[in-house]
Amino acid sequence: MKQTGLGIILYGILVVPPVKAYLESIMLLHMLVQLPLLILAGWFIGDRLIKKFHPFFTAWNTDGVPGMIFVVFITMYWMLPRALDEAVTMYYIELFKFISLPLVGLFLKDSWKKMQTLGKGFIFLNYLSMFALMAWLYIDSPIQICNNYLETQQKFLGWGFLVITIWMILYLLQAVFTDHSEKAE
Amino acid sequence: MVTAINTGDFKSKNSLIATYLIIGGLVIAVMMIFGILMLLAQGGVLDLPPAAFYQFLTIHGTGMIGGAALAASAVMWYFLSNYVELSKKVFKLNLILSLIGVVMVIIGVFSFKYASAWTFLYPLPALSGGAWGVTGALLYLVGMLILGVGFLLLYIDTGRAIIKKHGSLGKGLGWDVISGKRAEKDAPSPTVVASTMVTIVNVTALTAGATVLIMNIINVVNPAFTFDPLLAKNLTYAFGHIFANSIIYMGVIAVYEILPRYTNRPWKSNRPFLIAWTMSTAFTLVIYTHHMLMDSVMPKWMLIMGQVLSYANGLPVLVITAYGALMIVYKSGIKWDMASGLIFMSMFGWVVGVVPAIVDATIVVNHVMHNTKWVPGHFHMYMGLGAVVMIFGFIYYLSKVDSGLQTNGLDKIGFISYTLGIISVSVGFLISGAISTPRRWATHFPEWMAPAVFGAIGGVLAVLGLIIFIIHFIRYVKVRGISGSDINEQKLA
Ligand code: HEM
Ligand SMILES: [Cu+2]
Repeated sequence: MKQTGLGIILYGILVVPPVKAYLESIMLLHMLVQLPLLILAGWFIGDRLIKKFHPFFTAWNTDGVPGMIFVVFITMYWMLPRALDEAVTMYYIELFKFISLPLVGLFLKDSWKKMQTLGKGFIFLNYLSMFALMAWLYIDSPIQICNNYLETQQKFLGWGFLVITIWMILYLLQAVFTDHSEKAE
Repeated sequence: MVTAINTGDFKSKNSLIATYLIIGGLVIAVMMIFGILMLLAQGGVLDLPPAAFYQFLTIHGTGMIGGAALAASAVMWYFLSNYVELSKKVFKLNLILSLIGVVMVIIGVFSFKYASAWTFLYPLPALSGGAWGVTGALLYLVGMLILGVGFLLLYIDTGRAIIKKHGSLGKGLGWDVISGKRAEKDAPSPTVVASTMVTIVNVTALTAGATVLIMNIINVVNPAFTFDPLLAKNLTYAFGHIFANSIIYMGVIAVYEILPRYTNRPWKSNRPFLIAWTMSTAFTLVIYTHHMLMDSVMPKWMLIMGQVLSYANGLPVLVITAYGALMIVYKSGIKWDMASGLIFMSMFGWVVGVVPAIVDATIVVNHVMHNTKWVPGHFHMYMGLGAVVMIFGFIYYLSKVDSGLQTNGLDKIGFISYTLGIISVSVGFLISGAISTPRRWATHFPEWMAPAVFGAIGGVLAVLGLIIFIIHFIRYVKVRGISGSDINEQKLA
């Protein structure tokens, strides 16, 4: 399986100390590059694992909702400013990061295809408003929130979130205003 | 036109609808009593501590908007489900989440003295000067969030269903008919068009609302996190204005569906109708800026846009609907009863209520009238005599077709009492506004008191009328399934 290999390689690159150190030295790269890439690695590796442990996933994640709840909680945790801060200073939080986020990718993969339009729409809008809020929080905050990152870094991150939010809005608009007539759902 | 629905389904659909309407109706009635108490306090008749006044103001605003939105969404769901396949599970979930949210709001307001008004304008929730604590604010804000989640799920579902049936939200608004790609006779029905509009504006409103609610929650929990108040105000009013306005756009579906059944004439979506709805969709999304006319730091172009579009906001839909209603009724030999009478009255209330709104949306006038009781004057007219009357009309309609329950002289008295009552409440507010009484003031100068007392008397009439409506509806719920037909809507004309 090509994807699995890709995922393992990606994960391997991310744990290489210089890469890790570089990504974590800049807040924007830490939150919006390293974390998503870890999720992506889990997503790639996910296929093989989901097949291997098929009974487990069908029994516990039948409609995708339990998996999604896991995804939401873990990603919400990693959006907290202090989570990033602690990951840089405490080794066990760092360890948690490198384990929890690939798991997020794994469950995301399993859940997303199982969930119905309603649930997906709700999750999407949830992240839309959360990212908008993160943009607002980081751009507007008059104080330095993290010990390890300066205020300018925070603002930078905020603009990153804003760009993501805008992309999500544009995506949503095209999704609901382009024609889906032919596609039988 | 009506999709096949099997009997059992139909029955439980109507009982769910009835539950929505009874809860909505009761909430509105109880909130009216708080409204009367506020007016009596302002009129110097009742000795109410100012803190209690603001708790009442908060619960009245929140409860009215929430209760009316809940009932109006039932009207929309009832008719829309004839055209597209909606999920009953989601509809039920919305009711449950709404009830949880309402209970939290009530506890927050009454047990923990939370009183920021329903607009919860940042940073008020966190900065109460000791009037309420963190618990009250959190109960209120989280309660609102849960309410919002319920409604958001509901509108995702309507959006999903409309897209599935019609292809896209654009097509739900009939854009391909407007552009000439599709014939007028194949246009989506008025119900679908209105529901699409409501879906678009309310998903936007609720997403903005969720953002600003969570922001407030963060600020309440940890006041060290501060946010830009101007952006907060923009988002808050984008949410509040749009969501409150959507009530009338859901309610108007009752007009589109009920009048044709009474007159045996179809209400078709023609091109002007579709254009009007698309225009109102766009305007509704942007004209919340009329709440910012006093914020001189706002970009001027936005304020001017807010003003110009406020004139035009509801107008396209209002004109096309009022005209349509007159045309469909004109020389139709319509049989007037409670349902058709209320529906027709609601159009009157909507039209009359919009006039003072338009006056107020002018920047020059707004500088004088802003934050006077002129403002509640106009929205009590189009909410109290427009939006919620559409809902009551629907209640009478449903009880008629679903049980054959007869109305009597008491219902007519209710109709008159309610109408006179709301007109008096609104006129009282407008007079107060004209003599420059500020809105949201717990205590009035003696020269401001008379119109408040007048309004309170009107309020009592309105409540009496509403109680008669509710009694009728409860009677219907009791007899349904025993008399009349559950399956077929009786012919009305
Ligand atoms: C018997 C009928 C009613 C009475 C006596 C009444 C009374 C009042 C009073 C006294 C206020 C405060 C005015 C001020 O700012 O000083 C108020 C505000 C308000 N009312 Fe009503 N009302 C009635 C019906 C309704 C209805 C039917 C609705 C909507 C469905 C409604 C929605 C509101 C809203 C949204 C506010 C604004 C709250 C705020 O400023 O935060 N009311 N009403
Ligand atoms: Cu407004």
